[in-house]
Amino acid sequence: MRAALVVGKYVALLAFVCFFLMPVYVMVITALKDPAQVSVARMWDLPDTVSLDGFRAVWPKLQNGFVNSVLLAVPVSVVSALLGAANGFVLSKWRFPGADFVFPLILFGMFIPYQSVLIPMVQLMSTVGLQGGLDGLILVHIIYGLPITTLIFRSYFTGISDELIDAAKVDGAGMLRTFLYVALPIAPPAFAVAMIWQFTSAWNDFLFGVMLTSTDYWPITVALNNIAGGQQVPFHQVMASALLACVPTLLVYVLLGRFFMRGLMAGALKG
Amino acid sequence: MRRIRRWAPGLLLVAPSLLVLGIFVYGFMGWTLRLSLTSSRRRDINWDYVGAENYRELADETTLTGQRFAIDVKNIVIFTLAFVVGSLVVGFFLALLLDRGVVGESFFRGVYIFPMAISFIAIAIVWRWLLNNGTGDQLTGLNKLFSLAGLDFLQSDWFKSDSGFAIAAVALPAGWALSGYVMALFLAGMRGVPEDLREAARVDGAREHQVFWHVVRPMLLPVTMSALVILVHISLKTFDLIYAMDLKSLKIDTPALFMWFTTFEGGFFGSGAAIATLLLFGVSLVIIPYIWYSVRAERRS
Amino acid sequence: MAGIRLERVTKRFRGGVVAVRDVDLDVAPGEFMVLVGPSGCGKSTLLRMIAGLEPVSGGRIFLGEKDVTDHLPQERDVAMVFQSYALYPRMSVRRNLGFGLRMRRTARVERERRVAEVASVLGLEHLLDRRPGALSGGQRQRVAMGRAIVREPKAFLMDEPLSNLDAKLRVSMRAQLSLLHQRLGTTTVYVTHDQVEAMTLGQRVAVLRDGTLQQYDTPQNLFRHPVNLFVAAFIGSPAMNLVHASVSGGAVSFAGTRLPAPSALSDVDRRVVLGIRPTGFSPSADNGWPTLEVVPEIVEELGDERYVIFELDAPRVDTEAVHAALEAQSADDALLLPENRARFTVRLPADVPVSVGEPLRLAVNPERLYAFDQDTGAALS
Repeated sequence: MRAALVVGKYVALLAFVCFFLMPVYVMVITALKDPAQVSVARMWDLPDTVSLDGFRAVWPKLQNGFVNSVLLAVPVSVVSALLGAANGFVLSKWRFPGADFVFPLILFGMFIPYQSVLIPMVQLMSTVGLQGGLDGLILVHIIYGLPITTLIFRSYFTGISDELIDAAKVDGAGMLRTFLYVALPIAPPAFAVAMIWQFTSAWNDFLFGVMLTSTDYWPITVALNNIAGGQQVPFHQVMASALLACVPTLLVYVLLGRFFMRGLMAGALKG
Repeated sequence: MRRIRRWAPGLLLVAPSLLVLGIFVYGFMGWTLRLSLTSSRRRDINWDYVGAENYRELADETTLTGQRFAIDVKNIVIFTLAFVVGSLVVGFFLALLLDRGVVGESFFRGVYIFPMAISFIAIAIVWRWLLNNGTGDQLTGLNKLFSLAGLDFLQSDWFKSDSGFAIAAVALPAGWALSGYVMALFLAGMRGVPEDLREAARVDGAREHQVFWHVVRPMLLPVTMSALVILVHISLKTFDLIYAMDLKSLKIDTPALFMWFTTFEGGFFGSGAAIATLLLFGVSLVIIPYIWYSVRAERRS
Repeated sequence: MAGIRLERVTKRFRGGVVAVRDVDLDVAPGEFMVLVGPSGCGKSTLLRMIAGLEPVSGGRIFLGEKDVTDHLPQERDVAMVFQSYALYPRMSVRRNLGFGLRMRRTARVERERRVAEVASVLGLEHLLDRRPGALSGGQRQRVAMGRAIVREPKAFLMDEPLSNLDAKLRVSMRAQLSLLHQRLGTTTVYVTHDQVEAMTLGQRVAVLRDGTLQQYDTPQNLFRHPVNLFVAAFIGSPAMNLVHASVSGGAVSFAGTRLPAPSALSDVDRRVVLGIRPTGFSPSADNGWPTLEVVPEIVEELGDERYVIFELDAPRVDTEAVHAALEAQSADDALLLPENRARFTVRLPADVPVSVGEPLRLAVNPERLYAFDQDTGAALS
């Protein structure tokens, strides 16, 4: 009886693996087909010959978006993390009156539907001339990323002992020096979490991207959507472009998944 | 008060962030609310005051706007139910399977969670194909799989269905993306139950499933609540996924989509702002209590 | 070298809790002063106020001649040793030691000289490039001390620095601390909950209870002349034996025994709490001391001596002061089995024949009897 349960467990687990990987299967085999082979009816068939034609054809269309996304995601992740570190430090270890009231207010910003700030945001960005290029998009991602990075660092710093901060104070360090010499050196794990989370967030965003950039500055998600929505774009190219768009974040996920997970869990407020 | 010198530096360091969030979150929310009380249309924002006119119009099913909004509300309810229940069930089940430790756990976990790392646009592109409703020799996607497995009755028009439940099909890719996250939450919750408690129960004679039912399950309530709140709020916000799947289709229209179209294509800023405010209200309904309880719980510990 | 003076120092927390109430203390320059008391008595809060980590609600604090009450910790010239050592985890021992000097912008040459000197005094030379994570508990403790010493501050503040060490190490560290103080002569305020530590280390000891200073005196005076029931029960291990008794006509009686009353109570007629330390007895000898006959219940062997425990036909002393001194929450907390008869512990040399159940005659030193008021706990003799 026991053995049957164990076997059943693995069967179920593997069945779900199939469910989760099935779309990946379709994406990959379609991307690798040559144009003649691609058809809706033959979706599930493996390619007769492996062809990189799809990738080659679609890369020029995607290249710009890819570069734009890199230029977006990297600064966003670095700056968000730094600001989040400062905020998280103050809110956990150098509190001011009302800090515990301010934190939930910051947190709420993480959950708001972007529709409720979209119109004024677009208005403001176009008024100050930041609409169209990447600058406005970077700024917006940094700002709306503040809540989650602040949360990540605040949780992290709460875990270090207060006595460490006291020791720094007695040794003569003020807030800034305590932050720079005592808090930051022990923060690399939190930096990893915050940066990876923000990188993924910025790379995968669509709404802000489509609203705030013009053609030359489209991030990869917008470029991808255009390719996919375009008339008569061959399926293998569509799938190839989707695959290419996913590569960076998947790479991060595979290599640094540990930190990705912690970012995930942070967003659940210690549920 | 010399005491101010103790905390002033900290406040100064966070002040810019607070200021910026104050504007971009709360300021903008208020701006949108105020906009929803105007009659702005045709891409021209005018700051008159028409009270709840826009809202009335959304609720009025004799108008085009109202009709569409009624469909949206129905759709979002169906979608939320299907998505939330589906994700909770699958996530819980997966956590259950993994809880006691299995060979290759990291592999399984990695596979179940990876969808969280990819963009909803890419997800929509693939699933659009998988949920294709072609027939005959155009049969493809999941429908073809079902046919090959002899499960023809499971075939469906999915998101192009005329049944009024088309949006439930979109819950599939959404659930595919989020179930792993729910699993991670439940797994953390289950593993957060101290082993001592389980061992005491075993020594007292409980079998494994009884240990789970009497010891572990009651402690999963907070996690379930967290998961529920997070899923509901994501459901209300969902935009990218539906936009990329079939953007012009009324069958899978939701308030989030409608807001976008009516504002940026139709130019009805007032109406769009009203929908946005309603969305905010809906999300706040679940999020505010959630934050309140989390903060209270943290203070108590 | 500077003394520390506390004038009516008070700390009120939000919510109304008064952790420290009107404490007056005067630590002489170069003195080693110990703050002792049960958990929650306010000793750590008081220490933190001296360090500047806790703002003061009332009163003033003087470091030397300077009023530092409103100064931030960075601005006072004190060094602190924490219970958890609080070493900077990502810095080497060398940088940990030198951090305070760096913050005060001491010249590099001077800083390196002092770090090297302290490292050699404490035997840390071979550890200078290691991180705290790679050190043992005792080594970490030395680095924590070194970090304080290297600053050459006006005073050392130590918050239970030995609590995290195991018992044997603690005893040897205690001796090291005394030696160090003799060498450096820095004013030191040392906080502990362990009254043995307090007695052995302190030149003067301040006993605190619920935020109020009970008595501030040399260890000997605390032991011999406790000013109230709490101090009497708190200081000394095993604790002082206590029993309710009545004084009348120059004699104090309890449980069928009559002893001559302490001189201060010679013509008084009242009820008191009588206290006799375990060392206030001797095996019956012809020294003219009053005697009593007891039946030992438990005999604890300690090698050179033994503790003999017997029951008295009198109720246990159950006042709040006694509970606080024994760190019990209520009457029930101190006992495994409920009971309400007084039990005395007597320390006797091991060569006296004692066995459980066999009646034993003990002599009581009449000079070493203590009497306390039953309600206020104030000493009456």
